[in-house]
Amino acid sequence: MATSQDTLHDTVGSLGKVQGALRDPVLWGFLVTFVVLFWTPELIIYMEWADYWIIFLTEVFIWSLFAVAFNLLMGYGGLISFGQAAYLGIGGYTAGLLLKYFVWMNFYVALIAAPIGGAIAALVIGYFCIRRTHIYFAILTLAFGHIVYLIAFKWYDFTGGDNGLIGIPVPEWIMDPTFANFYKFVLVICMACIYLLWRIVNSPFGKTLTAIRENEVRADFVGIDVQRHKLYAFMIAGAFSGLAGALIMINDRSVYPDLAHWTQSTQVLLMSLLGGVYTFFGPIVGAFLLLTMDADITENYPEIWQLFLGATLVLILFALPGGIVGFIQERDDSLGDDMATRMAKMMAQFSRKSWYFFGGAVGFTAFFTILQAPASWLISEDWDFELLSLITWGLVPRTVLQIVVGAAVLWWLLRGIRAYQPLHRWALLAFTILSLFLHIYLETPLSGLILVFLWVIYSFYILLQPDARQAFGNGVAVEAKDPAREAAE
Amino acid sequence: MLLRVENATMSFDGFIAINDVSINVEKGQLACIIGPNGAGKSTLFNLITGHLTPTEGKVYFHDQDITGKAPHTICQFGMGRSFQRTNIFPRLSVFENVQVAVLSHTRKTLNFLTPTRNLVQAETYALLEDVGLVDEAHSTSGTLSYGFQKQLELGITLASDPEILLLDEPTAGMSPQETTNSIALIERITRERGLTLLFTEHDMDVVFSVAEKITVLHQGAVLAEGAPDEVKDNPDVQRIYLGEAA
Repeated sequence: MATSQDTLHDTVGSLGKVQGALRDPVLWGFLVTFVVLFWTPELIIYMEWADYWIIFLTEVFIWSLFAVAFNLLMGYGGLISFGQAAYLGIGGYTAGLLLKYFVWMNFYVALIAAPIGGAIAALVIGYFCIRRTHIYFAILTLAFGHIVYLIAFKWYDFTGGDNGLIGIPVPEWIMDPTFANFYKFVLVICMACIYLLWRIVNSPFGKTLTAIRENEVRADFVGIDVQRHKLYAFMIAGAFSGLAGALIMINDRSVYPDLAHWTQSTQVLLMSLLGGVYTFFGPIVGAFLLLTMDADITENYPEIWQLFLGATLVLILFALPGGIVGFIQERDDSLGDDMATRMAKMMAQFSRKSWYFFGGAVGFTAFFTILQAPASWLISEDWDFELLSLITWGLVPRTVLQIVVGAAVLWWLLRGIRAYQPLHRWALLAFTILSLFLHIYLETPLSGLILVFLWVIYSFYILLQPDARQAFGNGVAVEAKDPAREAAE
Repeated sequence: MLLRVENATMSFDGFIAINDVSINVEKGQLACIIGPNGAGKSTLFNLITGHLTPTEGKVYFHDQDITGKAPHTICQFGMGRSFQRTNIFPRLSVFENVQVAVLSHTRKTLNFLTPTRNLVQAETYALLEDVGLVDEAHSTSGTLSYGFQKQLELGITLASDPEILLLDEPTAGMSPQETTNSIALIERITRERGLTLLFTEHDMDVVFSVAEKITVLHQGAVLAEGAPDEVKDNPDVQRIYLGEAA
């Protein structure tokens, strides 16, 4: 009897858990994103865009996983690892060597071996590194990373040295002509892993890690074994980096020592900085942006790519020290403000930042136009006055039109939003979706996706938070909810 | 005897910061360590809480030798400590500050998958209630006023459900009003929970109003020890310490 009751209790408990999980908006966000991204290759093929974009997005997913894993250390643990590429390399070589030298080796077993290899390497290397802090920690990780690189580079009998491992056997289905199968394979793995990392950073372990970042001495004296937690974080990051390395290996069907080179470590550092170190999704945005810029600019102007990257980074560090997503999430919650003041501040900030966004988007578009068609400044030769063939317009008239029309629309939207008109909130969403379709129509889906993606997270954070949700539609309710004033009456 | 320091000596490269100091704190006692700047009060605290290992001598807690144990282990034995410079987690919210400490105390920090949001809510709010910070629960702790930050630190310290509180200058840098409030809070919590208190303090009014036993440190050694009145009347103490103020 007791047993059946226990079982019943367990069932109810787990049902409750499932229900709880279903109410988690982040899980829904993950699912929706997953569904959309899962069918993206079909869209790309249907729209007859270049297959290259499928390969490109695959790379973005892999680097996103790597960047999020890295940021578990840097953003959440405050541990700046300059040698994270070592685990990328170790993962790649673990899976690569297993597949190359053991004919009977199962593909999936090799894939699972990669994160295990990464974690074990991180355990050994981390054991020494976490004993030092700050710059000494960074230098130690760099040094160990370089040792890993040199082993891969010099040990010809084992790793193939600088020739790398080539012709690694992978299953047939991976090499379909459009690479859509591999895309989906990577998507499933990366989304699952990133969701897992999301759970980890929001778990007690993640919170503890943040506490250690904030104040190691204090964390120690609330009874937290600081080094043990740091080591575990190092191992988790190592494991997921190793998995990312194995995916890169499968993507290339070969693995070179360059995978473990320190420049890869700086690349992932830049992604985190660009997207926002103290945010979970920032590194994904950073990976997306960096790889887009890399693809677009390296192709046309390989010689200025590094210059552009440097300039962007300086700009980010000075103008947006919290990175792009950090900028989006930043809120001014001064103590002692009543709700009306808080809301007013929030809306003012929303307006201001929206204008920054608008400026950024126009500048971004103009910049890429300069890169892609620098000849047509005023009017291109095949110019005709059609609103939707903007691409044939010269840079200057197009930008002017964008600024005038865009500013008018934005001004109207923001005015309504500041007055808490629900209609304008929906209009904002409508215009956002419209702009995405416009970009797709103009065959620049990628930049459209970037802009819309950023814009949606941005408005989500500001306009959908509970205070704001209450205010929309009942403008006067803002004052009524203020507790101090209620008490006075 | 709850806490016993036996003949502790601490020397840093030949400089003797603590010289053969022995201190006993009984359960339920409100004990205070005073002494001029550089007398070795903070060093003594660091010896007790494991941040430093004494060159010689032993520290016993509940008659268990804790000399040289790691701070987090000593904390788990039931010792709570606040630091002289405010020591909180500045970019976490007030709630999270205390929550982390509760999680650590309940040994939940190696849970990798449960969302923290719903864990130990009640315990955390009870502690915030105790130190009077419920209204600030969701503010970023680094933006709080100094007095509030000290209150928060007390909350963090209490989260590990300690038997003894070691407070290093709990009122340093506070306005007179903040000092009064903060002392009242500490006294109330100590009595309510039946805690033992060992603190250092500059403000003599506070010392003599709270302490049941005072130890005077001077140049790393114990100069005098006893009830407040005895210490007040001790000529040595008046010469080196109170004399300066009078």
